Amino acid sequence: MNLQSRAITWVWGLLVLITIGTGWLAPAAHTNHLAQASLPITVLVLALALIKSRLIIRYFMEVRNAPRWLGLATDGWLAALFGAVLVIYLV
Amino acid sequence: MPGDINMWVMVLGDMIIFAGYFVIFMIYRSMNRQEFLLAQQHLNIAIGVTNTVILLTSSWVVALAVQAVRAGEFEKSTRLVLAGGAGGIAFMVLKGYEWASKIAAGHTNSEMFYSFYYVITGVHLLHVLIGLIVLGVVVRELRNPAKRRPAMVETGATYWHMVDLLWVIIFALFYVMR
Repeated sequence: MNLQSRAITWVWGLLVLITIGTGWLAPAAHTNHLAQASLPITVLVLALALIKSRLIIRYFMEVRNAPRWLGLATDGWLAALFGAVLVIYLV
Repeated sequence: MPGDINMWVMVLGDMIIFAGYFVIFMIYRSMNRQEFLLAQQHLNIAIGVTNTVILLTSSWVVALAVQAVRAGEFEKSTRLVLAGGAGGIAFMVLKGYEWASKIAAGHTNSEMFYSFYYVITGVHLLHVLIGLIVLGVVVRELRNPAKRRPAMVETGATYWHMVDLLWVIIFALFYVMR
């Protein structure tokens, strides 16, 4: 396995770990009581989703080796989307 | 640049359209917080997590297929793309089961959360289907010694990773956030 493949595989492991970890925070993971809104959980979940998204873009889609404009475009998209989601949640 | 520029234009366009869906979903969610939260509690988180892991794994093997084709390992690359496609089919089957069980439990479009859920996961599912066709084209070209080239596999992989990327965000917004 070359260096690139090894990096991709580590990223996959991390993505799976984060996914299983955040699954425990879901409202549906606790059905013995009514779900409660939670700012800390939501901020944590959004931060982890942002990290996952960026890992997919940088490593799987190989944007880290792409021309600079593509990195800026995808980072701009991530910032705009997650920024908007958080602001709408907070207001 | 990994893959074809035209594919990137399409992928970026799709990402912007989905970002629009997500923002609209969030606006309606913020107006009906408690209703959405209770509806979220009726989702099957085990299926949500399993489907996310399936798609992440599928994306990973397709990323490895790109590495293989660059090393001239065409047989290995073909097998990896086929394995990635199998992941996509598994995702669709599980999603179909999830929809059927939600509808059987009475969670239909009459609930606002579920109408968003069916439309957005439905549009996403259509992208999974298109992605499977793209992977099929990649396999066909990989099997033809006259046609096979790394750029083709990279281009198909870019689309497939976008399907994965959008799902990861759907998972966070629909299944996990509170």
